[in-house]
Amino acid sequence: MPFHGEERIWVGVVAAMAVIFLAALAYAAWVVGLQVPGGDVQLVEPQKALQELKPGVREIAPGRYEVIIVARMWQWFPSNITLVNPVEVKFRLTALDVIHGFHIVGTNVNVMVFPGYVAEITWRVPQDAKGKYLVVCNEYCGLGHQNMYGVINIIRY
Amino acid sequence: MENPNMFRIEDRVAKVALVFSYVLLLLGGLFGFLQVLSRAPGMPRLETPQLYYDGLTLHGVALAILWTAFFIVALAVFVITRELKINMNAPLLRGGCILAVGGSLAGAVAILTGQATVLYTFYPPLQASPLFFIALAVILIGTWLISAAVIEAIWRWKKLNPGKEVPLATYGVFTTIAIWLLATPPLAYAVIARSLPMSLFNAPVDVLEWRLWFWYFGHPLVYFWLVPAVTIWYTILPKVLGTEVYSKTAAKAAFVLYLIASVPVGLHHQFVDPGVHPVYKYLHTVLTYLVAVPSFITAFNVIATLEKAGRMRGGKGLFGWITALPWGKDPVFTGITFAIILFGIAGFSGVVNASFNVNYNVHNTAWIVGHFHLTVGGGVTLTFIATSFLLVPLLFGRDYVGKKFLIAVPTLWFVGQLIFGISYHIVGLLHAPRRTYIAEAGYLNDPNLLNSLHLVGQWIPWLQLGAIGGVIFALGGALFLLLTFATIFRGPRIGLSGGELQISPTPGPATIFDKLGLLALIAIVIIVIAYSLPAVEIYSRGLSPAPPYWPSGAPAG
Repeated sequence: MPFHGEERIWVGVVAAMAVIFLAALAYAAWVVGLQVPGGDVQLVEPQKALQELKPGVREIAPGRYEVIIVARMWQWFPSNITLVNPVEVKFRLTALDVIHGFHIVGTNVNVMVFPGYVAEITWRVPQDAKGKYLVVCNEYCGLGHQNMYGVINIIRY
Repeated sequence: MENPNMFRIEDRVAKVALVFSYVLLLLGGLFGFLQVLSRAPGMPRLETPQLYYDGLTLHGVALAILWTAFFIVALAVFVITRELKINMNAPLLRGGCILAVGGSLAGAVAILTGQATVLYTFYPPLQASPLFFIALAVILIGTWLISAAVIEAIWRWKKLNPGKEVPLATYGVFTTIAIWLLATPPLAYAVIARSLPMSLFNAPVDVLEWRLWFWYFGHPLVYFWLVPAVTIWYTILPKVLGTEVYSKTAAKAAFVLYLIASVPVGLHHQFVDPGVHPVYKYLHTVLTYLVAVPSFITAFNVIATLEKAGRMRGGKGLFGWITALPWGKDPVFTGITFAIILFGIAGFSGVVNASFNVNYNVHNTAWIVGHFHLTVGGGVTLTFIATSFLLVPLLFGRDYVGKKFLIAVPTLWFVGQLIFGISYHIVGLLHAPRRTYIAEAGYLNDPNLLNSLHLVGQWIPWLQLGAIGGVIFALGGALFLLLTFATIFRGPRIGLSGGELQISPTPGPATIFDKLGLLALIAIVIIVIAYSLPAVEIYSRGLSPAPPYWPSGAPAG
C-alpha cells in the first residue's frame, strides 16, 4: 500500500515549512547576530571563581558594559546593578556551588550558569529599555531557590 | 472460557505493572495538585519549600518517568501476547518487573524522606542520598530485562513467520522499546559512573559532560511515551470506530522516523548552555525538526481516519463527518481524540522549543511546563487513561463500575489541561520561571518592588488560572482512579471470550519496513554523528568537575 497523493502533498508542505523556519533561525543567528552561547569558554575552579573573576560592573566605553556575576545558593553577586544609557552589555557568569539559571525577565538574556565554566552572553539593549528588570534564577538550585533574584535598573537621560 | 489462558505469567506481569502505574499516577498526581495551588499567589499555600521541592521531585519521577513506563510495560506485554500469540521469556519479564517495582519503591522512600530533593533531572552537583541513585540504577536494569523479553519475543516471531509483515501495533511496541534501548545506556553512565560516586564519596562532577548524557536520554524519553500513544491512535482508535487506519504505510513511515530521529536531538535542551558550539546545537535543531515530521504525518493520518469513520456514520459535507462521530458517547473515542487535540496544541509549542535562538524566550520558563503537561500529561496520559477503559476489563476480567461517569473523566481532564496548559504557556512568555515556588518568592511579596518591575505583576492572574485548570484535571484523575480501583477489586466479573482479539489491520507480506535491524543501525549511525561532535568538543577541552552541595546549601563532605 503506497502513500496517498494527499499525503505526499502534506509531507511536502511540512518539509517546505521546516526549511523556511530553519533558514530564518540561521539568518537570525549568523547574520543578525542573535547567537546562542558558544563553545569558546573559560574553565574555572568553582572555589577560586570569586578571586579569578572579580565580579562587578565595568563600563568599557560609553554605553558598553562588561558585567561579571557570580552565583551561589541563593544569591547573585552583585544582585543590584545600575546601567546608565546602556547600548551593549556583555555578561560573564559562573557559579560557586551548583547549577543556576540567569534570566532577565522581559529580555533575551537567558543563560545557564555552571560551576566550573564561565558563560558569556551579549545583550544588545533595546533603545526603549528603561526602569527595573527582575533577574530570576530559573534553574532549581536548592531549597531557597525561589529567593534567588536581583534587579537591573536601567537609567536613561 | 473455551481455552485456558496461555499467557498466565505474562498477564500477571501486565496486571502488576498496570496496578503499579495507577498507584504512581495517584502519588504523583496528589503532589501535582498541592503544587499547582501552592505556587499560585493568593491561592492556599499548602506546602513548605522543603515539601514543595520533595513533592516536585516525586511528581516528576513518578509521573514523567514511572507512570508512563509501567503503563507501557503492561501495554507492550498485552499487545505482544495477543497479537503475536507467543509466550514471552518469563524469567526476564518477572525479574525485570520485580527490579523495576522494587527500585521505584526505594526511590520513592528516598524522595519522601527528604534525602533526594533534586527534582527529576537530579542535576549534579546537587547532592542526594546514594539510595536514590541506586534505586535509579536498579529501575534501569529492570527495564532492560523487560525490553530484552519484548525484543526476544518479536525476534522469535519473525523467525517463525518469515516473509510476514510485523503487525502495526507490534511495530509500535518495537519502536518504543528500541528507542528506550538506544536512549538509556548514556543515562546509566551518568547515574552509575558520575552521580553515584558523587553521592558515595563526594566525587566532583563535570556539569556539562553530565548534562550532555542526561539530555541524550531526556529527549528520546518523551518519544518513549509518545510512540505507544501514537500506536493506540493508529490501532485502537480506528478499532473503536469500527474501521482501520487511513494509511498503514504512512503509519509505519512515521514509526521509522521516530526511531531514527528521536535520539540525536538532546542539545535542544542545552541551547543556552555554555561550552557547546552553536553549529552542533543548530544540527540538533535540524534533527528535531526532522522528528516533528512523523508527528505531522500522524496528524494527517489520524484526522483522515476520523473522517473515514465519520463518513461511514453518514456524515456529509466538509465538516459533517466531525459531528457524526460519537463525541460524549464513547469514553474511549472521546478520551483519545481529546488527547490528540491536546498533543496537537503542544506540538506547536514544541517546535518553538526546538528553534535554536528563539528558545531564549522560553527556556526554563513556565511555557515549558505548559508544553510538557499538554504532551505527556495531555496527549499521552489521557490516551492511556482512555485505553484503560478497555485494557482493565480485558486483563482483570471485570466490567467497569460507574460506566455512566466514565465520560466525565476525559472531559474534566481535557478542560483542565487546556486551561492549565494555555495559562502556563502565556505566563511562560511573560518569563515566569519553571520549577520555582513562586508564591514564596521575595519579589512577589514586596508590593513596592513588584509594582516597579517589568512584567512580573502580570504573572499572577495566569498562575491563578493555571491553578484552577490543575484542580479541574486533578478531579478528572481522582474520578478515574476511584472508578478504576473499584473495578479492579470490586467490578462485576465478566467471562473473557477466548476468541480472537484483533488490534492491528490484517498484516500483509513483509516490506522494507520489516528490516528492523537495518533501521536500528541507521538510527545508531545518525546518533554517532550528532553526538560525537559535542562529545569530542567537551572531552578535548578537558573536564572541569565541581564538588557537590546539599539542597540545604551546605557543602557535602
